[in-house]
Amino acid sequence: MTPAEPVAADPTDAALIAAWHGGDEPAAAQLVRRHARALARFLAGAGALAADVDDLVQETFIRAFRALGRFRGQCQFRTWLMTIGGNVLKDAHRRSRRARVVPLDDDVRATDGDPHERAVAGEAERRLAAGLEQLPRMQREVFLLRAQQGLEYAEIAAALGTTPGAARVHYHHAVKRLKEYVK
Amino acid sequence: MNDDAPLDDGKLQEVARRLGARAADRLDVERTAQAVVTRLRTEPRADIRVLGRIRPAWLRIAAAVVLLVGAGVVALNVRVPLFTTPVPPASGELSELSGDELRAVLEAVGQAGGEQQEVSPQDLSLEDLSAPQLRALLESLEG
Repeated sequence: MTPAEPVAADPTDAALIAAWHGGDEPAAAQLVRRHARALARFLAGAGALAADVDDLVQETFIRAFRALGRFRGQCQFRTWLMTIGGNVLKDAHRRSRRARVVPLDDDVRATDGDPHERAVAGEAERRLAAGLEQLPRMQREVFLLRAQQGLEYAEIAAALGTTPGAARVHYHHAVKRLKEYVK
Repeated sequence: MNDDAPLDDGKLQEVARRLGARAADRLDVERTAQAVVTRLRTEPRADIRVLGRIRPAWLRIAAAVVLLVGAGVVALNVRVPLFTTPVPPASGELSELSGDELRAVLEAVGQAGGEQQEVSPQDLSLEDLSAPQLRALLESLEG
Protein backbone atom coordinates (compact mmCIF):
# COMPACT_ATOMS: atom_id res chain seq x y z
CA MET A 1 0.00 0.00 0.00
CA THR A 2 1.15 3.53 -0.71
CA PRO A 3 1.07 6.27 1.91
CA ALA A 4 -2.03 8.43 1.74
CA GLU A 5 -2.67 12.07 2.49
CA PRO A 6 -2.94 12.74 6.23
CA VAL A 7 -6.51 12.81 7.51
CA ALA A 8 -8.01 15.85 9.22
CA ALA A 9 -8.49 15.89 13.01
CA ASP A 10 -12.17 14.95 12.97
CA PRO A 11 -12.67 13.54 9.50
CA THR A 12 -15.90 12.17 8.14
CA ASP A 13 -16.37 8.45 7.63
CA ALA A 14 -16.09 9.02 3.89
CA ALA A 15 -12.72 10.70 4.34
CA LEU A 16 -11.47 7.90 6.55
CA ILE A 17 -12.66 5.30 4.05
CA ALA A 18 -10.87 7.12 1.24
CA ALA A 19 -7.74 7.31 3.38
CA TRP A 20 -7.94 3.60 4.13
CA HIS A 21 -8.27 2.90 0.41
CA GLY A 22 -5.08 4.90 0.01
CA GLY A 23 -3.29 2.63 2.45
CA ASP A 24 -3.70 4.65 5.65
CA GLU A 25 -3.98 2.06 8.44
CA PRO A 26 -4.64 4.61 11.21
CA ALA A 27 -7.76 5.63 9.27
CA ALA A 28 -9.07 2.08 9.60
CA ALA A 29 -8.28 2.10 13.30
CA GLN A 30 -10.14 5.38 13.70
CA LEU A 31 -13.22 3.95 11.98
CA VAL A 32 -13.12 1.02 14.39
CA ARG A 33 -12.82 3.32 17.40
CA ARG A 34 -15.71 5.42 16.15
CA HIS A 35 -18.20 2.63 15.53
CA ALA A 36 -17.14 -0.38 17.61
CA ARG A 37 -19.32 0.31 20.66
CA ALA A 38 -22.48 0.94 18.65
CA LEU A 39 -21.80 -2.23 16.71
CA ALA A 40 -21.25 -4.14 19.95
CA ARG A 41 -24.61 -2.94 21.27
CA PHE A 42 -26.32 -3.96 18.07
CA LEU A 43 -24.72 -7.42 18.08
CA ALA A 44 -25.51 -7.99 21.75
CA GLY A 45 -29.07 -6.86 21.15
CA ALA A 46 -29.37 -9.19 18.19
CA GLY A 47 -28.43 -12.18 20.32
CA ALA A 48 -24.64 -12.36 20.48
CA LEU A 49 -23.20 -13.97 23.58
CA ALA A 50 -21.40 -11.44 25.73
CA ALA A 51 -18.23 -13.49 25.47
CA ASP A 52 -18.40 -13.45 21.68
CA VAL A 53 -19.07 -9.77 21.13
CA ASP A 54 -15.39 -8.79 20.86
CA ASP A 55 -14.68 -11.44 18.20
CA LEU A 56 -17.86 -10.62 16.30
CA VAL A 57 -17.03 -6.92 16.24
CA GLN A 58 -13.59 -7.69 14.88
CA GLU A 59 -14.93 -10.06 12.25
CA THR A 60 -17.54 -7.53 11.17
CA PHE A 61 -14.92 -4.83 10.66
CA ILE A 62 -12.66 -7.23 8.75
CA ARG A 63 -15.49 -8.17 6.39
CA ALA A 64 -16.54 -4.56 6.05
CA PHE A 65 -13.06 -3.31 5.14
CA ARG A 66 -12.67 -6.07 2.59
CA ALA A 67 -16.04 -5.23 1.07
CA LEU A 68 -15.62 -1.46 1.13
CA GLY A 69 -15.37 -1.43 -2.65
CA ARG A 70 -19.04 -2.39 -2.74
CA PHE A 71 -20.12 0.34 -0.31
CA ARG A 72 -21.72 3.05 -2.41
CA GLY A 73 -22.79 5.36 0.39
CA GLN A 74 -26.43 4.33 0.06
CA CYS A 75 -26.62 4.61 3.85
CA GLN A 76 -24.31 5.64 6.66
CA PHE A 77 -21.17 3.57 7.12
CA ARG A 78 -22.33 2.62 10.61
CA THR A 79 -25.67 1.33 9.37
CA TRP A 80 -23.97 -0.66 6.63
CA LEU A 81 -21.60 -2.04 9.24
CA MET A 82 -24.54 -3.29 11.28
CA THR A 83 -26.05 -5.15 8.36
CA ILE A 84 -22.70 -6.88 7.91
CA GLY A 85 -22.69 -7.56 11.64
CA GLY A 86 -26.07 -9.25 11.24
CA ASN A 87 -24.57 -11.59 8.64
CA VAL A 88 -21.53 -12.29 10.81
CA LEU A 89 -23.80 -13.12 13.75
CA LYS A 90 -25.95 -15.40 11.62
CA ASP A 91 -22.87 -17.27 10.43
CA ALA A 92 -21.58 -17.56 13.98
CA HIS A 93 -24.91 -18.96 15.19
CA ARG A 94 -24.94 -21.44 12.35
CA ARG A 95 -21.47 -22.62 13.29
CA SER A 96 -21.91 -22.84 17.00
CA ARG A 97 -25.61 -23.76 17.34
CA ARG A 98 -25.32 -22.55 20.86
CA ALA A 99 -28.28 -21.17 22.75
CA ARG A 100 -27.88 -17.64 23.92
CA VAL A 101 -27.14 -17.48 27.63
CA VAL A 102 -27.49 -14.24 29.50
CA PRO A 103 -25.68 -14.41 32.83
CA LEU A 104 -28.22 -13.97 35.59
CA ASP A 105 -25.89 -11.85 37.68
CA ASP A 106 -25.21 -9.40 34.85
CA ASP A 107 -27.40 -6.74 36.42
CA VAL A 108 -26.07 -7.31 39.91
CA ARG A 109 -22.65 -6.22 38.68
CA ALA A 110 -23.96 -2.75 37.95
CA THR A 111 -23.28 -0.53 40.92
CA ASP A 112 -25.37 2.54 40.22
CA GLY A 113 -29.00 3.09 41.23
CA ASP A 114 -31.41 1.19 43.39
CA PRO A 115 -30.84 -2.60 43.39
CA HIS A 116 -34.58 -3.29 42.98
CA GLU A 117 -34.85 -0.90 40.04
CA ARG A 118 -31.77 -2.47 38.50
CA ALA A 119 -33.28 -5.90 38.85
CA VAL A 120 -36.58 -4.77 37.25
CA ALA A 121 -34.72 -3.11 34.40
CA GLY A 122 -32.58 -6.18 33.92
CA GLU A 123 -35.66 -8.37 33.78
CA ALA A 124 -37.17 -6.17 31.07
CA GLU A 125 -33.97 -6.41 29.05
CA ARG A 126 -33.90 -10.18 29.42
CA ARG A 127 -37.48 -10.41 28.24
CA LEU A 128 -36.81 -8.13 25.32
CA ALA A 129 -33.74 -10.14 24.36
CA ALA A 130 -35.77 -13.33 24.55
CA GLY A 131 -38.50 -11.77 22.42
CA LEU A 132 -36.02 -10.55 19.84
CA GLU A 133 -34.71 -14.07 19.42
CA GLN A 134 -38.19 -15.19 18.42
CA LEU A 135 -38.53 -12.60 15.67
CA PRO A 136 -37.66 -13.13 12.01
CA ARG A 137 -34.26 -11.64 11.25
CA MET A 138 -35.65 -8.71 9.24
CA GLN A 139 -38.03 -7.68 12.02
CA ARG A 140 -35.29 -8.03 14.63
CA GLU A 141 -32.80 -5.91 12.70
CA VAL A 142 -35.32 -3.26 11.75
CA PHE A 143 -36.42 -3.02 15.39
CA LEU A 144 -32.85 -2.70 16.67
CA LEU A 145 -31.82 -0.18 14.04
CA ARG A 146 -34.91 1.87 14.82
CA ALA A 147 -35.42 1.52 18.57
CA GLN A 148 -31.86 0.91 19.75
CA GLN A 149 -29.84 2.89 17.20
CA GLY A 150 -32.45 5.58 16.55
CA LEU A 151 -32.31 5.44 12.76
CA GLU A 152 -34.96 6.72 10.37
CA TYR A 153 -36.93 4.29 8.21
CA ALA A 154 -35.34 5.60 5.01
CA GLU A 155 -31.87 4.89 6.38
CA ILE A 156 -32.88 1.43 7.59
CA ALA A 157 -34.51 0.63 4.27
CA ALA A 158 -31.43 1.67 2.32
CA ALA A 159 -29.21 -0.51 4.47
CA LEU A 160 -31.44 -3.57 4.39
CA GLY A 161 -32.41 -3.29 0.74
CA THR A 162 -36.09 -2.67 1.31
CA THR A 163 -38.49 0.27 1.19
CA PRO A 164 -39.19 2.68 4.04
CA GLY A 165 -42.81 1.52 4.05
CA ALA A 166 -41.79 -2.12 4.37
CA ALA A 167 -39.31 -1.22 7.11
CA ARG A 168 -42.11 0.55 8.98
CA VAL A 169 -44.33 -2.52 8.69
CA HIS A 170 -41.52 -4.77 9.96
CA TYR A 171 -41.01 -2.43 12.88
CA HIS A 172 -44.66 -2.42 13.86
CA HIS A 173 -44.90 -6.20 13.61
CA ALA A 174 -41.81 -6.44 15.82
CA VAL A 175 -43.20 -4.01 18.39
CA LYS A 176 -46.51 -5.82 18.51
CA ARG A 177 -44.84 -9.12 19.25
CA LEU A 178 -42.23 -7.72 21.62
CA LYS A 179 -44.84 -6.00 23.79
CA GLU A 180 -46.09 -9.44 24.71
CA TYR A 181 -42.67 -10.19 26.14
CA VAL A 182 -42.00 -6.91 27.89
CA LYS A 183 -45.10 -6.06 29.85
CA MET B 1 -38.64 8.75 16.42
CA ASN B 2 -41.84 10.42 17.54
CA ASP B 3 -44.17 9.00 14.90
CA ASP B 4 -44.39 5.66 16.75
CA ALA B 5 -44.18 6.77 20.31
CA PRO B 6 -47.19 5.96 22.38
CA LEU B 7 -46.33 5.17 26.00
CA ASP B 8 -45.70 1.46 25.53
CA ASP B 9 -43.53 2.01 22.49
CA GLY B 10 -41.52 4.55 24.41
CA LYS B 11 -40.91 2.06 27.20
CA LEU B 12 -39.94 -0.57 24.68
CA GLN B 13 -37.50 1.80 23.01
CA GLU B 14 -36.04 2.72 26.37
CA VAL B 15 -35.37 -0.93 27.14
CA ALA B 16 -34.02 -1.47 23.62
CA ARG B 17 -31.58 1.41 24.04
CA ARG B 18 -30.21 -0.23 27.19
CA LEU B 19 -29.91 -3.58 25.47
CA GLY B 20 -26.29 -4.48 24.85
CA ALA B 21 -24.99 -1.44 26.70
CA ARG B 22 -22.93 -3.51 29.10
CA ALA B 23 -21.40 -5.54 26.28
CA ALA B 24 -20.45 -2.29 24.58
CA ASP B 25 -18.97 -0.88 27.78
CA ARG B 26 -16.86 -3.98 28.29
CA LEU B 27 -15.44 -3.82 24.78
CA ASP B 28 -11.81 -2.75 24.71
CA VAL B 29 -12.10 -0.46 21.72
CA GLU B 30 -8.39 0.30 21.38
CA ARG B 31 -7.44 -3.36 21.49
CA THR B 32 -10.16 -4.14 18.94
CA ALA B 33 -8.92 -1.41 16.61
CA GLN B 34 -5.35 -2.69 16.76
CA ALA B 35 -6.48 -6.28 16.26
CA VAL B 36 -8.53 -5.32 13.20
CA VAL B 37 -5.65 -3.38 11.64
CA THR B 38 -3.25 -6.25 12.31
CA ARG B 39 -5.63 -8.78 10.76
CA LEU B 40 -6.20 -6.57 7.74
CA ARG B 41 -2.44 -6.36 7.29
CA THR B 42 -1.75 -10.07 7.65
CA GLU B 43 -4.81 -12.11 6.71
CA PRO B 44 -5.35 -11.27 3.05
CA ARG B 45 -2.22 -13.28 2.18
CA ALA B 46 -3.58 -16.22 4.15
CA ASP B 47 -6.85 -15.94 2.25
CA ILE B 48 -5.05 -16.07 -1.05
CA ARG B 49 -3.18 -19.19 0.05
CA VAL B 50 -6.43 -20.85 1.13
CA LEU B 51 -8.18 -19.86 -2.07
CA GLY B 52 -5.21 -21.18 -4.02
CA ARG B 53 -5.69 -24.53 -2.39
CA ILE B 54 -9.45 -24.63 -2.62
CA ARG B 55 -10.11 -23.34 -6.08
CA PRO B 56 -8.40 -26.11 -8.07
CA ALA B 57 -10.21 -28.70 -5.95
CA TRP B 58 -13.56 -27.09 -6.72
CA LEU B 59 -12.59 -26.84 -10.35
CA ARG B 60 -11.71 -30.53 -10.40
CA ILE B 61 -15.05 -31.42 -8.81
CA ALA B 62 -16.92 -29.23 -11.29
CA ALA B 63 -15.02 -30.81 -14.19
CA ALA B 64 -15.82 -34.30 -12.89
CA VAL B 65 -19.53 -33.41 -12.63
CA VAL B 66 -19.53 -32.08 -16.20
CA LEU B 67 -17.84 -35.25 -17.44
CA LEU B 68 -20.32 -37.48 -15.59
CA VAL B 69 -23.31 -35.58 -16.93
CA GLY B 70 -21.85 -35.65 -20.43
CA ALA B 71 -21.20 -39.38 -20.23
CA GLY B 72 -24.74 -39.94 -18.99
CA VAL B 73 -26.20 -37.97 -21.89
CA VAL B 74 -24.08 -39.92 -24.39
CA ALA B 75 -25.06 -43.24 -22.80
CA LEU B 76 -28.74 -42.34 -22.96
CA ASN B 77 -28.46 -41.39 -26.62
CA VAL B 78 -26.82 -44.73 -27.38
CA ARG B 79 -29.38 -46.81 -25.51
CA VAL B 80 -32.60 -45.02 -26.35
CA PRO B 81 -32.69 -45.99 -30.06
CA LEU B 82 -32.51 -49.68 -29.07
CA PHE B 83 -35.67 -49.37 -27.03
CA THR B 84 -37.53 -47.17 -29.43
CA THR B 85 -36.80 -49.21 -32.57
CA PRO B 86 -40.09 -50.43 -34.02
CA VAL B 87 -40.74 -54.09 -33.40
CA PRO B 88 -43.04 -56.15 -35.57
CA PRO B 89 -46.48 -55.86 -34.13
CA ALA B 90 -47.87 -58.67 -32.12
CA SER B 91 -51.22 -58.91 -30.49
CA GLY B 92 -52.60 -60.49 -27.33
CA GLU B 93 -50.92 -61.37 -24.06
CA LEU B 94 -47.39 -62.72 -23.98
CA SER B 95 -48.56 -65.75 -22.14
CA GLU B 96 -50.93 -66.50 -25.00
CA LEU B 97 -48.15 -66.60 -27.60
CA SER B 98 -46.94 -69.90 -28.85
CA GLY B 99 -43.27 -70.78 -28.88
CA ASP B 100 -43.02 -70.05 -32.60
CA GLU B 101 -44.73 -66.69 -32.20
CA LEU B 102 -42.40 -65.72 -29.39
CA ARG B 103 -39.41 -66.81 -31.46
CA ALA B 104 -40.62 -64.69 -34.36
CA VAL B 105 -41.05 -61.65 -32.14
CA LEU B 106 -37.63 -62.11 -30.60
CA GLU B 107 -36.03 -62.50 -33.98
CA ALA B 108 -37.57 -59.21 -34.95
CA VAL B 109 -36.23 -57.62 -31.74
CA GLY B 110 -32.82 -59.06 -32.44
CA GLN B 111 -32.83 -57.67 -35.95
CA ALA B 112 -33.93 -54.27 -34.75
CA GLY B 113 -31.18 -54.19 -32.09
CA GLY B 114 -28.57 -55.29 -34.62
CA GLU B 115 -25.23 -56.28 -33.18
CA GLN B 116 -25.83 -54.48 -29.93
CA GLN B 117 -28.01 -57.15 -28.36
CA GLU B 118 -27.80 -60.59 -29.85
CA VAL B 119 -30.55 -63.00 -28.84
CA SER B 120 -30.48 -66.64 -29.71
CA PRO B 121 -33.97 -67.85 -30.60
CA GLN B 122 -33.19 -71.33 -29.42
CA ASP B 123 -34.68 -72.58 -26.16
CA LEU B 124 -36.29 -69.24 -25.44
CA SER B 125 -39.05 -68.52 -22.99
CA LEU B 126 -40.23 -65.36 -21.21
CA GLU B 127 -37.84 -66.10 -18.32
CA ASP B 128 -34.91 -65.96 -20.73
CA LEU B 129 -35.57 -62.37 -21.77
CA SER B 130 -33.62 -59.58 -20.21
CA ALA B 131 -35.41 -56.59 -18.75
CA PRO B 132 -34.69 -54.35 -21.77
CA GLN B 133 -35.88 -57.07 -24.14
CA LEU B 134 -39.08 -57.52 -22.17
CA ARG B 135 -39.62 -53.76 -22.09
CA ALA B 136 -39.18 -53.54 -25.85
CA LEU B 137 -41.52 -56.42 -26.32
CA LEU B 138 -44.20 -54.90 -24.11
CA GLU B 139 -43.92 -51.56 -25.86
CA SER B 140 -44.41 -53.24 -29.19
CA LEU B 141 -47.49 -55.01 -27.88
CA GLU B 142 -48.93 -51.76 -26.64
CA GLY B 143 -48.68 -50.49 -30.18
